[in-house]
Amino acid sequence: MNGLPVEILRPGLCDLLMDGGRQGWGRMGVPAGGAADRSALAAANRLVGNGPDAPAIEMVGRGPQLYFPRGGVIALTGAPFRAARAAGLVAGWNQTLVLAAEEILRLGEPVTGYRCWLAIRGGFAVAPILGSASALPQVGWGGVTGRPLRVGDRLYSEPAGGGVHLLRAQPPGVDEGAPLRVVAGPQTGALTDVGLASFFGGCFRVDVASDRRGIRLAGPRVIARGQVFPTQGVVPGAIQVPPDGQPIILGWDGPVTGGYPVVATVIGADLPRLAQLRPGAGVRFVTVDVEEARALAPPEWTVEDWA
Amino acid sequence: MEDPQVPRWPLTPACRWMGERALRVETGVTTLARVEQLASGMFNEIEDVIAADGSILLIFKQAARPSQPLLAALSQPVDGSPGRMGTRHILSVRMDAESGPDLAFCATHAGLDLSGFVREFTRIEFTVAFLGFQPGFPYLEGLPAHWAVPRHARPRVRVPAGSVALGGCHAGVYPVAGPGGWRVIGQTAAKLFDPRREPPALLVPGDRVCFEIEA
Repeated sequence: MNGLPVEILRPGLCDLLMDGGRQGWGRMGVPAGGAADRSALAAANRLVGNGPDAPAIEMVGRGPQLYFPRGGVIALTGAPFRAARAAGLVAGWNQTLVLAAEEILRLGEPVTGYRCWLAIRGGFAVAPILGSASALPQVGWGGVTGRPLRVGDRLYSEPAGGGVHLLRAQPPGVDEGAPLRVVAGPQTGALTDVGLASFFGGCFRVDVASDRRGIRLAGPRVIARGQVFPTQGVVPGAIQVPPDGQPIILGWDGPVTGGYPVVATVIGADLPRLAQLRPGAGVRFVTVDVEEARALAPPEWTVEDWA
Repeated sequence: MEDPQVPRWPLTPACRWMGERALRVETGVTTLARVEQLASGMFNEIEDVIAADGSILLIFKQAARPSQPLLAALSQPVDGSPGRMGTRHILSVRMDAESGPDLAFCATHAGLDLSGFVREFTRIEFTVAFLGFQPGFPYLEGLPAHWAVPRHARPRVRVPAGSVALGGCHAGVYPVAGPGGWRVIGQTAAKLFDPRREPPALLVPGDRVCFEIEA
């Protein structure tokens, strides 16, 4: 049985193929990358009968128009985007969708949030690099030569056997207005008292210059003592404060080392929320300790038969 | 039951968490030795070990935490010099105004004329301190202290792959083209990173590197 084609009629703002990423290659200078919300990726894959980390399309800000010449079984999770299928058919989120041959799926802008994922039964067929199909634009790896999808790109799903189960998923309840929970340090001491107060007391806005490498914040100037810091290993979620005092939350494709002080790090349970921060969104921080952060497991999805 | 042989958390002020999954360990001059000690695969809870400038970052697997043997290993001193000396590499480099737009700046900064700078540069045996910035980008130690140059105030939009460059007290080589703020002094054809090669990075921490002028 062959895989099914999907053609890009009109690209979205930045459609990238993403899977579970490249864990463990940081020692070679390679960011882990992968879906910005792995639980949303896993849910989309589960809805179409795939393993949790199968390659899917990650969309941000505005989605593409996709043509399914031979149909397909797909699912959408993450931020709900405006979406249209043929007249009378609903492109619902968080459920198995069976598309007929020659259907066109038109995705617009998100109603809330910023990113969503489209999984297809079998997963998209992409040659892995270092064990992952995830696009890494700055190096040209994965996806379609690492770049966002373009008009005329034709992707294929991997062949998949067996029957189709109609499922629907319930995303975890998330309080979008709540502050991001962070573990303070290791260089919180780099901030002056005024800097500390503006970091933990201030409200920041997500700058338009943000991407998967880093989410840039604009707001009260976070003043650091003018020390020079040696380069250190860093992780997604680490919040660096450069000399201009405007914090940067390192993203999924960010560098593995950095030279600015890291004053706090977003905890694992709140990393999926970073994926949904759109330009202009407000961001505040609140600290938890390491043990609390561990106890706060990543939010869980439930999946059930769609009766 | 507490085992008196095993240090209680926190181990030393030199270990600090970066989030709940990464532990930054201050290592000073023992960085490479610590990497060798911890990257041996003995500690199942470790997903990655990122060496850097005087510290390492241990990244733990999802939901894992440091085991007692790991805590014990961290509390043990390690020798400042790594047990094995890394591979020695010789990289051919072109160093002229075209391949090294900042060559003249760096030479002047070092107080040398062009040929003197090139001669001195190719005499240095560098050590790979760590990788970062791009896949396979080596931070090379061994520059004379007074050669340390400031980075460009505005990074170049595109530095070609293979660019040999100076940034602060380090030398480095760009594995792929991209934006960069280091001072470019030459070009090498060496492939610094190839995901199909094992290991993909040509240079790994502890390796030694010399540059020779391309024939």
